[in-house]
Amino acid sequence: MTVLGFCELRVTYGDHVAVESYNDILHSGEWVCVIGPNGAGKSSVLRAAAGLIDYTGSVAVDQKEIPATSARWRAQHIAFVPQSPLIPHDMTVEEYVLLGRNPYIPYFGVESASDREIVVDVLHSLDLEGFERRKLATLSGGEIQRLVIARALAQQAPVLLLDEPTSALDIGHQQHALELVDRLRRERGLTVVSAMHDLTLAGMYADRLILMHQVVAWRKEARPKC
Amino acid sequence: MTSARGGSRLWLWVVSSAVILLVSCVLGLMIGPAGPQWWRIPLELLDRIPFVNIDSGIAARDWTIVWQIRAPRVVLAAIVGATLSLSGASFQGVFRNPLVDPYLLGVAAGAGLGATLVFALGGSRPTDWLIDPLPLVSFGGGMAAVFFTYMVGTSFGKTRSNISLVLAGVAVTSLATAIQTFVLQRNNDVVRQVYAWILGRLSSATWGDVRLVLPYVVVSTVVLLMHRRLLDVLRVGDDEALALGTNIRRVRLIVVLAATLGTASVVAVSGLIGFVGIIVPHAVRLIVGASYRKVLPLSVLLGGAFLVLVDIPSRVLSDPAEIPIGVVTAFFGAPFFLLLLRTRETSS
Amino acid sequence: MRSVLAHRWLAVDEYSNYPQEAVDLGTKLSGYEPNIEAISGYTPDLVIASYDPGSLVQQLGELGVPVYLADAVTTIDAAYEQIENIGLLTGHAQEATDLTAQMKAQIDEAVAGVTLPAEPLSYYHELDNTLYSVTSNTFIGSVYSLFGLRNIADNVEAGNDYPQLSAEVIVSADPDLIFLADTKCCGESKATVSARDGWGSLKAVANGNIVELDDDIPSRWGPRIVDFVIAIRDAIAALLVNS
Repeated sequence: MTVLGFCELRVTYGDHVAVESYNDILHSGEWVCVIGPNGAGKSSVLRAAAGLIDYTGSVAVDQKEIPATSARWRAQHIAFVPQSPLIPHDMTVEEYVLLGRNPYIPYFGVESASDREIVVDVLHSLDLEGFERRKLATLSGGEIQRLVIARALAQQAPVLLLDEPTSALDIGHQQHALELVDRLRRERGLTVVSAMHDLTLAGMYADRLILMHQVVAWRKEARPKC
Repeated sequence: MTSARGGSRLWLWVVSSAVILLVSCVLGLMIGPAGPQWWRIPLELLDRIPFVNIDSGIAARDWTIVWQIRAPRVVLAAIVGATLSLSGASFQGVFRNPLVDPYLLGVAAGAGLGATLVFALGGSRPTDWLIDPLPLVSFGGGMAAVFFTYMVGTSFGKTRSNISLVLAGVAVTSLATAIQTFVLQRNNDVVRQVYAWILGRLSSATWGDVRLVLPYVVVSTVVLLMHRRLLDVLRVGDDEALALGTNIRRVRLIVVLAATLGTASVVAVSGLIGFVGIIVPHAVRLIVGASYRKVLPLSVLLGGAFLVLVDIPSRVLSDPAEIPIGVVTAFFGAPFFLLLLRTRETSS
Repeated sequence: MRSVLAHRWLAVDEYSNYPQEAVDLGTKLSGYEPNIEAISGYTPDLVIASYDPGSLVQQLGELGVPVYLADAVTTIDAAYEQIENIGLLTGHAQEATDLTAQMKAQIDEAVAGVTLPAEPLSYYHELDNTLYSVTSNTFIGSVYSLFGLRNIADNVEAGNDYPQLSAEVIVSADPDLIFLADTKCCGESKATVSARDGWGSLKAVANGNIVELDDDIPSRWGPRIVDFVIAIRDAIAALLVNS
């Protein structure tokens, strides 16, 4: 079943073209890694899918075009881990991961007990138990990165977009975080698109690799039609 | 149950802040340049509670001074302080900028310009209108000022600089003040009317003033407090808040509207009182952290207490004359603001 | 600020609204920031100003235009002197002397017209609706002093002659007379003062001893001082009749 489809995606910033004619079709449980040097357009592909930038062409999640969806709907269907997240230093770990439940909380509402349980589960699965009341300022770079992934997992969205998710993690934690994503993908059919520069890690987890080079995507198999 | 503990801790803060506000109000009622001896006043207040009978020995005319003159002033100071602090905290949240407050954003200047136009162009305002146009027009002026400040302050590239927003506010304030001066020069018959309005009349507050602002302030306060969770979501930045499912434009618009409504309506009765919107939210952050779930409700309570307390020296220090309360708040606020600016500069 | 040529007014500033002839000139020269060029454009032989906001005297002097500075006065006698000086400068010395003599006579008559009670009556003079007032050290205060009235604003610290009073101070002082010099600026009246919270119990309100003045008359030390004095006399007379 097609979960995420890109068709003739084109992203520009003023006169600068960042992505040109990007096509792809992702099925449930699939993991695609977009690799390539900085500035090749990897992040722009993810940000277009997250509804953060304007583009031409088509990006659809569950057959719904991204610009036609509400922010709330998108956040229930797509979780996005940015490359350099903004960290409010005196927020606690629990408060931060709870932000992932935002798309399920009514506009004027507050989180429910089940939202809190989900946060506890996610923290547990990312080895962040006991960190609940710690301030973000006291965490290491690696802990922060796991925390951002934890927030994305708390969204319980079927699509996960990871923009350089492991750059600040040591090897052990890199493996651990990606293993967890991999397990969720197998157990719950999570669809993952990650932008990565580490080819070894990319090769370990991805079903397919897409190389972005000078705004154009290259791949081993045939370019999917749309 | 860490979460439950966090929740009850907030309630503990709310209850203690409410007690502080109450004590401040009683103190405010007790101290003044005239009226009965201070220690008799709490007795009289207790006496007013049903089934409690205490002879406070206060003459009826002294009680008139306390209840008809001092009390509305205390209540109005509490309302104004609470509203300015809440609006300040909300503006800081929605612009993710710790340096803004309703005055620095130009709201007060815009509201003042709006009021000037009403006086100057409206001629003699009919007093039998169903709705007094003055608060509405000054609200419009305040909104326009925030809008321009935001447009100018964020037009310097994608990366929003805290300082550029403050500078834009300064520029918009100057422009609004310049237009106001121009209009006043052409309509010098209304100068005193306008200045009496701008400089405020907290010193001559009446229960009528309290009734005038209360509906606007209640709406503004309820709307802002209901956004406390969403302001926390905004703390991770526009992109991430959007990716987390927040309609950031709508949140920003509603919060700015509500905070401006609150500010413009209290400006209408209290005049220019600066820095409250910066001092109080930051002091609250120092105590309980930066989460808007705590900062907003505590700013309401402690902001009210702050202005009630500050109003006491403003009415007794040079008895029987008044020191404008804006002078007292600026005396405390300006050094605080510079300190804040300095710590922000060194930490970034 | 007035510019004259022999017997003829050339121009007045925007605040000079009395007598009607001044308004009819239609010359809205700036009062707070006088424009030297605009003034000299009228080629006046004399400029009269109530104060020098900067270098008015010096600059007009360089253009050969003399300026008479009629500074704000604090006594009625000083006002007479200014009126006579202006008469002298404009070639109306005799009329000016006659005018001041007539003013003196009218004021003396007004003051003599009431028998003051042994206990001095107290008063509150309101400049605007944020309760700014005056002390006895001001010109306005000196006029009330003619009648031996006691000013409730008098115990402020020295130097603050236009204090903003606390409402509770006014109410607790309970003045016998209230004079409103904010009827034009701020629309205050007997009715609005009586309706203020806590003011209903005041003697002046209960007995109707509130005087609605034209804002301009007490604050301008011209021939209309007489009107001000008579208004005070009438108020005292009315109070004494009723009590």
